[in-house]
Amino acid sequence: MWRFGIVTWAALAFAQGFTFTIGSPVASQDGRSKLAAFVFRIEGCAEPAKARVGGTAEGLVQGARKSAALKLVAMSTPGVYAVYPSWPAEGDWVVNLNGTCAGANAGALIPIGPGGFIRASSTFLPRPATAPEIDTALKTLSQGRHK
Amino acid sequence: MTMWTRHVSGKLATYVDAELTPQAAQRVESHMETCAQCRTECDRTRSGMAMMERLPIIEAPDSIWMAIEAQLRDRPTTTPAIPSWRLAVAATVIVAVAGAAAWRLAHPAATRWEVQRLAGSPAIGARPISGVGRVGIGEWISTDADSRAVVAIGEIGSVEIEPNTRLRVLATRPDEHRLALARGEIRATISAPPRLFFVDTASGTAVDLGCEYALNTDEDGSGLLRVTKGWVSFEWKGLESLVPAGASCRTRPGIGPGLPYFDDASDAMKQALGTFGYEKVAGNGLDVILAEARVRDTLTLWHLLFRIAGAERARVYDRIAALTPVPAGVSREKALELDPETMKHWREELAWTW
Amino acid sequence: MVDLSDREISGEIIESCRRGDREAFRALYDTYKDRVYSIAVCFFHGDRAVASDVTQQVFLKLITSIGRFRGDAAFSTWLYRLVVNACLDVARRRTPESLLSTLADQDTPAEPSSQEEAYARAQLASSVRAAISTLPEKFRIAVLLRYFDDLSYEQMAEALNCSMGTVASRLSRGHKMLAERLKHVNSPKA
Repeated sequence: MWRFGIVTWAALAFAQGFTFTIGSPVASQDGRSKLAAFVFRIEGCAEPAKARVGGTAEGLVQGARKSAALKLVAMSTPGVYAVYPSWPAEGDWVVNLNGTCAGANAGALIPIGPGGFIRASSTFLPRPATAPEIDTALKTLSQGRHK
Repeated sequence: MTMWTRHVSGKLATYVDAELTPQAAQRVESHMETCAQCRTECDRTRSGMAMMERLPIIEAPDSIWMAIEAQLRDRPTTTPAIPSWRLAVAATVIVAVAGAAAWRLAHPAATRWEVQRLAGSPAIGARPISGVGRVGIGEWISTDADSRAVVAIGEIGSVEIEPNTRLRVLATRPDEHRLALARGEIRATISAPPRLFFVDTASGTAVDLGCEYALNTDEDGSGLLRVTKGWVSFEWKGLESLVPAGASCRTRPGIGPGLPYFDDASDAMKQALGTFGYEKVAGNGLDVILAEARVRDTLTLWHLLFRIAGAERARVYDRIAALTPVPAGVSREKALELDPETMKHWREELAWTW
Repeated sequence: MVDLSDREISGEIIESCRRGDREAFRALYDTYKDRVYSIAVCFFHGDRAVASDVTQQVFLKLITSIGRFRGDAAFSTWLYRLVVNACLDVARRRTPESLLSTLADQDTPAEPSSQEEAYARAQLASSVRAAISTLPEKFRIAVLLRYFDDLSYEQMAEALNCSMGTVASRLSRGHKMLAERLKHVNSPKA
């Protein structure tokens, strides 16, 4: 019975839109984010301070798949984080974000271009991105840059 | 009792400051009982005085005393009324020199910033720099058409100085690093908490909020601020333009910062802003801006709300609302009144789309 | 008003300055430097470079002419006459290149309880300074003199070289203009 309750609660969290919103560093209102690649905030989570967020930077460097740890720094507003470039300049990179809040999950794939994060190509999911989805995002990014 | 029938506006400051005699104060009060105009003006006078209470005393920089000392050391006395001054000056020369040396020990080379020549013959004052020099408060760094230099801004970053530039150091304190750009172009890269680094120009001040940017100023003081990382606030006499990475802002002396715009905005929009970016945007220019605006151009539109009024402001509000949902807590009525809390909240939400 | 009445200089220090006592002059400088500088910064639209020059001029003028101070008026009245004259003289001589105006205000508030509050106060102070800089010079100097020191209207009249009625009128009109310019305090904030 309690498992049903958790599923219901998680569904409720997603139904209310547990997701990420991304933005330029200026959106954080926090000077520490000035050199971040982008910032994000969690939405649809009753207690943002208790949400768990994490991720990796996924890359394609000279045809080889690479991963890098993500440098996330919590900003002064609860639920707002800065993502600092922790990946090399060479290659094509996508930031793979994921998070949980009260049993609900959310994920996002944010491609990084020469001018910074590419909002238009970013994908937001109700769960962590799968490996094929990451590969597709990298392939699209690579093809788009090398047209 | 005599009651003044003429307005008492000229006496209101004296009345509020209790500098009137009791009788005169009583007459002013009696007059105001029946004169709404003077009551209103009295409120305004009080309000103005209350606003002055917001001003802190500003600490005079140490450099002023050092300059005074230097002048006193060099100045021959010709004042017979104080004949002992020459002896006093001579006697204090050693003290002054020792004091200055002690001051330099307490404030070592960090308060004179290092300037490195990158090309040509940049100069500090009249002295060309051949390799590395140091610039202090009040001194100018100049480059000609063939020169470039880079100045280390204390411990917080650096400023590259492009050709044909004149730049003056105004403050080198740990809590304030300030330059004045008279003309030319600089590129600043700063790693510090916000509001430690400032660049004054004839048309406003670029306030570093953590960023990289380029600032270009013409001979007449017109300028262009382009931000590549972080964001910069460009401020002048109550007008402020927030310029995030990927955006630019033109400035003009006597007018201040124009409307910030993203560098990838349409050419039509940039042209319309170039023409009307400073004064009230009206007529065809506004039509173009509204038609060309994308979601992220709400950066420009939000700032535009403060520069126009009436029906035009309402058009801009409606356009922003059409581009992106107006957040809860932002009402049309309060936004059109430019309610500060409303506008602040709205800007914070819009910033997620910039 | 800023209450600095306890900072009035003593007659002994003035007398020592007349005799060329360096330490006495330094004490006198320390007593008044921040007020003089603050007036100059606000008068010159936040231009700290010009304010530093004016402050320097005022004190150099003071020390070279202190022999002429007769002691029949408050010392601060005499000092602020120098400040008024210096501000108005420099304002008349300013060239376009030297008109470097700033609004950014980083003066440390007395007791910032949080970074946000300190920021908000700095923003408000900045707005007030900006409004002051739009006042006509004669109103501007009167408003600044009144605020940054505790001169009586009579002393202000002497410093400004005008009648008390004129002082009252300038202060009334100046403050009303300030209130009008600041009624919304609508600057967008970073």
